[in-house]
Amino acid sequence: MCLVNEIGGVITVNYIEYLDTQEDLVSPGISACQGCAAELILRTTLKIMGRNTVLAIPPGCMAGAGCVGWNFDSGVKVPVHIPLLDNTASLLTGVKKVYEADGRDINVVAVAGDGATSDCGFQSMSAAAERGENIIYICYDNEGYMNTGFQRSGTTTMGSSTSTTPAGKEGHGKEQQKKDIPMIMAMHNAAYVATLSPSHMSDFVKKMEKAKSIKHGFVYLHILSPCPTGWRFDGKRSIEVARKAVETNFFPLFEVEDGRYTLNVVNKNPKPVTELMGMMKKFSHLSPETIGEVQKNVNRRYRLLTTLSEMKNDMEG
Amino acid sequence: MGKVIAITGNTAAAKGAALARPKVIAAYPITPQSSVVEHLAQLAADGELDTKMVQVESEHSAMSVVQGAVMAGGRAFTATSAQGLALMYEPYFRMSTLRLPMVMAIAGREMTSPETIWGGQQDTISVRDAGWIQIYVENNQEILDMVLQGYRLAENKDILIPVNICYDGFYLSHLIEGVNVPGQEEVDGFLPEYKQTHVIFDPEMPMAVDPMTPGELLMEYRKSHLEAMQRALNVLEDVDREFAAKFGRSYGGAVEEYKCGDADIILVTMGSMSGTAKEAIDIKRNEGIRVGLMKVRMMRPFPRKKIAEVLEGKRAYAVVDRNVCFGWNSGALYMEVKAAESDLESRVTSFPVIGGLGGADISLDHFLSVIDELDSCEKGGKSHECVWLMK
Repeated sequence: MCLVNEIGGVITVNYIEYLDTQEDLVSPGISACQGCAAELILRTTLKIMGRNTVLAIPPGCMAGAGCVGWNFDSGVKVPVHIPLLDNTASLLTGVKKVYEADGRDINVVAVAGDGATSDCGFQSMSAAAERGENIIYICYDNEGYMNTGFQRSGTTTMGSSTSTTPAGKEGHGKEQQKKDIPMIMAMHNAAYVATLSPSHMSDFVKKMEKAKSIKHGFVYLHILSPCPTGWRFDGKRSIEVARKAVETNFFPLFEVEDGRYTLNVVNKNPKPVTELMGMMKKFSHLSPETIGEVQKNVNRRYRLLTTLSEMKNDMEG
Repeated sequence: MGKVIAITGNTAAAKGAALARPKVIAAYPITPQSSVVEHLAQLAADGELDTKMVQVESEHSAMSVVQGAVMAGGRAFTATSAQGLALMYEPYFRMSTLRLPMVMAIAGREMTSPETIWGGQQDTISVRDAGWIQIYVENNQEILDMVLQGYRLAENKDILIPVNICYDGFYLSHLIEGVNVPGQEEVDGFLPEYKQTHVIFDPEMPMAVDPMTPGELLMEYRKSHLEAMQRALNVLEDVDREFAAKFGRSYGGAVEEYKCGDADIILVTMGSMSGTAKEAIDIKRNEGIRVGLMKVRMMRPFPRKKIAEVLEGKRAYAVVDRNVCFGWNSGALYMEVKAAESDLESRVTSFPVIGGLGGADISLDHFLSVIDELDSCEKGGKSHECVWLMK
């Protein structure tokens, strides 16, 4: 990363020094849960996007935590709006069109939960991506509707005990596999698609910078956001959980730029998903068979990504 | 100088919209509105309209895109019908309650089921309490003119409420009439560029747009919205006067009276049926029946005072609705006219009429028979059962 010093010289710094110089545009004391990864994601995102940004945060944890203003105080220091749960990408399309008509270059950013992204907001996002709207759509994936009490969503992992798929005598948690939104968005011919994790900040910052620099199409960033309250683990372990998700290939870090796939972290000897799933109580009821199903899905997905990234040189045409 | 050309109602709506120079147009095709979007897309493709066209995947997104556009300070336009309006209900309500001004043309269509694509007013009537101003028009010229007047009304700083221009699907949307299309320069003089300041999404003026709002404050918003709605009754008259001075056409205010002054009985209509109704009035007047027509142009805000004034001292009135009010054996306009009439010291005899649903015709004979029935009513204020125009 580069910074410009007082006398106009360009100096190279690491991501920690870089983030340290950036303004924190989220008010202190927003009411997210202890150990919430989404809060860290939002703060870091805005540090990189800067003040020349407008933000849409649909209903979800970050809206509920007061980032769109709670009663008489605003939670962030850039223009922010809470769109409907299902129209974030369409609303931002209209905003961006006016800026484009006026010849203004402003970062138009969505920070949406997985429910607003993969479920009822999916139609409007899919269409905005297909049209190639130049907006930056960021999904913080905490695998469910967490601020309303952990109901399952399309991105909830198989076997998760949630308030709408509770484990019990007959129930074994969510019965379906996680919906793979970043891959679906890559297939929309988006200008840039990437997965990010708060455990890999250098990669995170690089991808966020890249997203900000893209002026010709739709950008989709999918960020894993471990949720201590809903997943039931100790709040101080959020980053550890996020790192384990990468190390087990449960959440591979990759990017897709103009159709070319790159695996950013290659695990030669990935750890078994049981190491991740064992860290939280939402999976504690699971049978070895269900864990095996999750592992199989993780392996299949990683093989697909490896193959796609190896095809890189053949994708030029 | 305007130019008279033969065009459909949908083309009139599109030409009106184009003359308003919207920065953003987002729309999704639906029968009978589709040719509005098509015409605008062609104008943009031909380089005759400088706008950002967004080809959305649904009406829900159409209304969301225009909300974003107006929040960012631009003028916006969209159009829809029936199922499309129903699908956009969520952002539709939000647009008005955020007090974001714009114009949406609606080619009215019956609501499914039974499955139908034909005309009716059920779509717009069903959302009359979603905070928008609703204006119903009679002919294609009025469509174009009211799109232009609609922006002036919506963007007035004392109003700031979005406006629907409602016209009957097929009966107007696909009917070709002569329409005087004003020149761009004339329109620019009447409708200057819009600058939004009260709700703005702009890094140069950072604000949280629509934070969680407690009930006490929310009630302030509703009260202010309702008060602005009432002001719209007068502002529409001001806008119309200015329009008349510039373009030589006037529509009056929320209510148009046709031979009501000396009338003994009154027919009440809304929309394209009013043309046929006027003919029926003339025929019956030749037979010696003193009948007048009250055409309601504004459903929201509802011109309660004006309607009561017109009905005062009359023997009877009948209201013809191209929609139904489920749970009342009448249409919606009848209910509302009756509520307005209750402000009078003494009751006026009345009955509701329902006709023209799902594209069915309301014929001259229908109106003549309604006037005959109206003429048989006695003074005394007793309301009669609903008349269905079924044959």
